[in-house]
Amino acid sequence: MAGPVRIPPAEALQRSYLTVRDPRMQRVLRVQAALGMTIREYLNGHGFVELLPPIIGPVADPGLRGAKQATINFYGREYKVMSSAILYKQMMAASLGKIYFFSPNVRLEPLETATTGRHLAEFVQVDIEEAGATYEDAMARAEDLVRTVIAHARGALGDDLVAFDRRLNGGSRPFRRLLYSEAVGLLKEHGREVPYGVEIPWEHEEFLSTLFEEPFFIHDYPRGSRGFYDREDPAKPGILRDFDLLYPEGYGEAISGAEREHEYAKVIARLRETGENPSKYGWYIDMLREGIPPSSGFGIGIERLTRYVCGLRSIWEARPYPKVPGVFSP
Amino acid sequence: MSEPLTKLFMKVASVRSAAAAGRSFLESYPVDEIIQKAKHGRDALYPFSDLDEYGRALLGADIGLKQLTRFATLDQLVLLPPIFTPKRLEKLTELGREPYFSDVDLETTIGGFRSRMPVTMASMGSTEVAHGASAQLGRGAAEAGIPIGLGENIATVWGYERRSKASMPSFKQRLFAYLEHLDGTHGGAVIQQSVEDASDELWNKVYTDPDVEPYFKKGLVAFEVKLGQGAKPGLGGETKVPRDVARSLKGTYYFPDDPERVDREMYERHSAPGTFTEDILRGQLRSLRNNFPRARIWIKAGPFRDLLPVFRVAWQERIDAVLADGKEGGTGMSPVIALKDLGLPTLACLTRISDARTEGLPLSFVLSGRLYDGGHVVKALALGASACAFGRPFVVAAGVAGAKGVRNFLEATEVEMRMLVSALGKYRLADVSREDVGSLDRHLADALNIPYVYAG
Repeated sequence: MAGPVRIPPAEALQRSYLTVRDPRMQRVLRVQAALGMTIREYLNGHGFVELLPPIIGPVADPGLRGAKQATINFYGREYKVMSSAILYKQMMAASLGKIYFFSPNVRLEPLETATTGRHLAEFVQVDIEEAGATYEDAMARAEDLVRTVIAHARGALGDDLVAFDRRLNGGSRPFRRLLYSEAVGLLKEHGREVPYGVEIPWEHEEFLSTLFEEPFFIHDYPRGSRGFYDREDPAKPGILRDFDLLYPEGYGEAISGAEREHEYAKVIARLRETGENPSKYGWYIDMLREGIPPSSGFGIGIERLTRYVCGLRSIWEARPYPKVPGVFSP
Repeated sequence: MSEPLTKLFMKVASVRSAAAAGRSFLESYPVDEIIQKAKHGRDALYPFSDLDEYGRALLGADIGLKQLTRFATLDQLVLLPPIFTPKRLEKLTELGREPYFSDVDLETTIGGFRSRMPVTMASMGSTEVAHGASAQLGRGAAEAGIPIGLGENIATVWGYERRSKASMPSFKQRLFAYLEHLDGTHGGAVIQQSVEDASDELWNKVYTDPDVEPYFKKGLVAFEVKLGQGAKPGLGGETKVPRDVARSLKGTYYFPDDPERVDREMYERHSAPGTFTEDILRGQLRSLRNNFPRARIWIKAGPFRDLLPVFRVAWQERIDAVLADGKEGGTGMSPVIALKDLGLPTLACLTRISDARTEGLPLSFVLSGRLYDGGHVVKALALGASACAFGRPFVVAAGVAGAKGVRNFLEATEVEMRMLVSALGKYRLADVSREDVGSLDRHLADALNIPYVYAG
């Protein structure tokens, strides 16, 4: 990749009604539709049930690096617009076992993310959850899904890739798996110090991604660096059973996933990490008290996938009417 | 006939008890001294009255006690100037002339912020007395170049951006009353978030606010995890609010009287103290670092018996500053029984800071709790604190002369600190140490590992 475009082109974004008629953009949107279809075919073929995604609720995912949730006035009470459907995924995995949503999310990201080239305030992720699965199962599922999508892109979308002058690597070997501690060590070797216990900063994540030719996993993040619902490993206190899949060549994060903390008392203690009164999560707490099965799952962002497959320099080229943090556009 | 009389008697008694409460504050708190400093700045530093002025006065140390104290305070310590002063020789050599007290360098770093002196403005919350004066307090602190704290529930009670009451500033107006008067290199704003503020995502709001963004970029904003407060460790926040406010906050706070069903003028509003274990605290601090990488992280701890373990966690998690608030700290509203019986006195908190230094924890420590003059600060520094936070003195000073009163008070305090540090033969804060302080009480001397002054 030629390196992301850092500064969002505010004027072009304000005229996205023109951008969407550009032949190159039309091609991006057709590829995006085809990728969505491939994902659906794969998941349906493996026994997953597609469900309607929730859009609003009394609470949403609080585990968002600094982003603020959007709120609406719901008949006098404050409701959240889904920042992610994680809480509902657990609810539905407890019912149907293997489920997914094409879930639209809104996150009012800090302004500093406007220049990462891979953050949008509105995006769609395919949110997948499987009851009874471990995080190893979820990693295998994520790898199989991404491999299938890439193979399909190389085959059925070959002409499009040629048009984008895009060569997609990956698929012949299993994806590399790095422990979080190894990833941090690798960054340190390149003079990029990340204090232990901290999520890898955006610019370091991008750099790490340039060191690889194929998608790769980072797993076993330390507690505190991720949402309260990522399960702490009973055998490794302080370590979470979770993972990210990163695209290579500087494209960065593709997927975040984890095994879920599902035991009531553990979730209550972890929820306090957000500094909130757990009572705020009323229905979710009640559900856990009733009992739900263990589950694992992940989310894969459609715009980031599109960006990677088409080799686009910035995320705002990867969806119609993009909302870049801080930019006012249609 | 006797009923009206009883009523009248009760009324007079209650007025008298209110007057007594006011009188007891005036007697036990150095309000006069603060008022003089707020009015006159450095001119208030000499004990002249209208009767005795320079050349006619025959003054000496006051050897009386205003009142008997139940527990030891920093006033039981004295500073111990020496005649042999190698550090003064160093300064003399550097300057090529005898140094004066004006040569003392008070500039320091507190929790990542540059400050003109080792003093911060303590976090004050949503109470009317603090909130009503907040524009003057903020401006005064900014112009004096010291960090400021913004306490809990300000946004929840007074609105984040839009005022919930026309006559009172919103949270953001209060924040910018400070930020807009900074000189660009000194100061910093430390923002707390109560359990209830968290419910409204206060920190996320601040962090994603385009108006505040430039200040994050400059590193001038900290988020402060509040683990209790001096006057009521282990209890949440308490205040009283009118019925309309109570109705709008029902569900967010605990109201012993349901504002929907019970008719009263004012309603007690309680917030939760928040539940912590070492694991929860650690997780919370790490989440903060992850979520807000451009914010500094401070901790405010009440006078808890396990302060030292909290300090250790703070050090391991690379927290920018820890503030320890002693039990005699100011409060808008705390149960009398809490004021009387809960928590460690400020001097005992200082002992824990001193222990942490002995262990080698290089944290930025801020001490607070009924501290109000330069002597308190220099003594605290000698025993390991990095700075002191003042609360009530600023409210009194702002009441006397607005932002100018705050600046005057700080000017006086600054000169006091320069005089005291230079008297110790030192010109840098980092040189002030345990050797510079002694105790008037033998037990205290043992506990603090400092000389008992009468022992020779």
